[in-house]
Amino acid sequence: MASEGQQPDATPASRRASSAEPLASINRRPILRTPGSHARGLPPRPQGLSASGRKAAPPTATPHARAAFRAIDSRRAAIFTPHRARRKSLREVRDSPRDFLLSLGRVLARTTQVITTSSSSSSSPGDGGGKDRRESDGAGNETTLGGISVVDDEDDDEELPKRPRLSLPIDEEDDDDDSDDLQPHRSVLIDDENFTMQSIEMPRRAISEQPGGRLSLGSTRMSDYFNVNDMLHSEDVGIDSGFFPPTAVLDEGNLTVGPEELPSPERLDSEADRRDFGRESDLGIEVPVGDVNDSTFVIAPQVQESPDRPLFADGEPGLDNYAPLVDQRSDDYDDEELLGEVPPLEEEQMEDPSLRPRDETEIESVAVQRAEVRDGSKKKSIKVSKYGIEYPSLPPAVVKRLAQNFAKANGAKGQITPDAMKAIMQASDWFFEQLGEDLQAYAKHAGRKTIDESDVLTLMRRQRQINPNITPFALAQRHLPRELLQELRMTPPAVPKKRSRAKGAADDEDVT
Amino acid sequence: MPGQKLYPRATVRKIVKAHSNCNVSKNADVMMFLDYMLFMQTLMKEAAIEAKQGGERGITARSVRKVTADSLARFRG
Repeated sequence: MASEGQQPDATPASRRASSAEPLASINRRPILRTPGSHARGLPPRPQGLSASGRKAAPPTATPHARAAFRAIDSRRAAIFTPHRARRKSLREVRDSPRDFLLSLGRVLARTTQVITTSSSSSSSPGDGGGKDRRESDGAGNETTLGGISVVDDEDDDEELPKRPRLSLPIDEEDDDDDSDDLQPHRSVLIDDENFTMQSIEMPRRAISEQPGGRLSLGSTRMSDYFNVNDMLHSEDVGIDSGFFPPTAVLDEGNLTVGPEELPSPERLDSEADRRDFGRESDLGIEVPVGDVNDSTFVIAPQVQESPDRPLFADGEPGLDNYAPLVDQRSDDYDDEELLGEVPPLEEEQMEDPSLRPRDETEIESVAVQRAEVRDGSKKKSIKVSKYGIEYPSLPPAVVKRLAQNFAKANGAKGQITPDAMKAIMQASDWFFEQLGEDLQAYAKHAGRKTIDESDVLTLMRRQRQINPNITPFALAQRHLPRELLQELRMTPPAVPKKRSRAKGAADDEDVT
Repeated sequence: MPGQKLYPRATVRKIVKAHSNCNVSKNADVMMFLDYMLFMQTLMKEAAIEAKQGGERGITARSVRKVTADSLARFRG
């Protein structure tokens, strides 16, 4: 801080062109201060004693005790010290992390350059001030500069007279001088080691940027994310693509296969396989005949209604309503296979009308017409759609094989418990109902009575399963066996034209 | 099982026909089943995630039921 020693440097530097500004600012450091450089001018104070003359907190004190000491000291200092000396008395107390940072800044300020800011006050000795002086004084600037700089340096060394300030200053040290009453004691506020570090490092965000802030964006991000996941995942599946034969073989090897896994779906119709089937459902379901009497079972033993879809607005409660339906399915298996062994069928039918309306009030009430009586010879579970058309459900072997494959592809074990299998079957029933409704809407919209392949493609595009990057043929190649692929490719003249018209020029390779 | 059919085509057609009250054109069921496979893929993936988060060992009925609504909603046309 030798002001006289630096002064000869300062004058020639200020005479230079303004392009050499950084260098000039380095040389005239006493004038161009970074925040905190005030304090270096002050004479060193004895560190051990507080304003009240009491010894500072012993080093062995706990952090809380030290903080308490500091609070008391600063309060006392605030009371007893006059206006100007207050700041000095507070300086001793500083050993909080923020003060460490401040002193570090003071040390580093010698080697760093001052950054010219737009908000630098005209009175603060910044670059702007220097420029002003240079511009205003034409010829005799050396002498005036020298004089001013001398004055500034003396300010540093002595007692910091207040400068007239026209704008908000950057440096906070001056604030202590001006607004003394409202200034909180730093040593109290920014208190001690752990807590303070955290509070300093606490991230601050605008309200608009906080995580919960933008819901709509978040939701779109979710959907994007799902799409990305789908893509990623479908690549995973692509690894074992053409995958049904190999994984099926794996199934045999692993012996994770349920008894109904092995036979082909055609042979499922035969009696022996169905016998297998019944055994499996007996094992897994654990619904003894005695339990059927309980009212927890809502059962339509003869004919299942079209499976109801959960209300998505309701979420969980909606799902809870369907738990009985799943059980009902399980019981249906029992009915099919062990028809003779289930005596309380009539009771269930009696229970049925009393329990069902409650469900239908919450669920979308499909106009379900039940077929009157299922003939006993028919062994498959027959459900009736809302159009009064009976339909079978997918063979569970197919669903289970699919589920196992996809579960393995997702890193889970290929094991799927019978309960989970029931839930999956229920989900696929709902899926097909939804699929049928959507496809019907598309076909009707196109003025057709026939669901076309283009309808399915439109649906898949709306489901974001198909986009310009994922062509339906890529998907089909990944998932379908060759004979079905050939079925798909048998229709090149009709389908690709529609597809290309709908999707634009993005998928050229599809058209070819 | 090389000779095995992937799925019973007639069954899929019957199901969709019953639900839509429409006819199903000749090869549309292949695409439908492809869509179904994608749905199953999503469902099992979500169920696996759910099971993992819930600390279950395999895919259980609870995890499947929990993700069913979401997966179905995503496959809403």
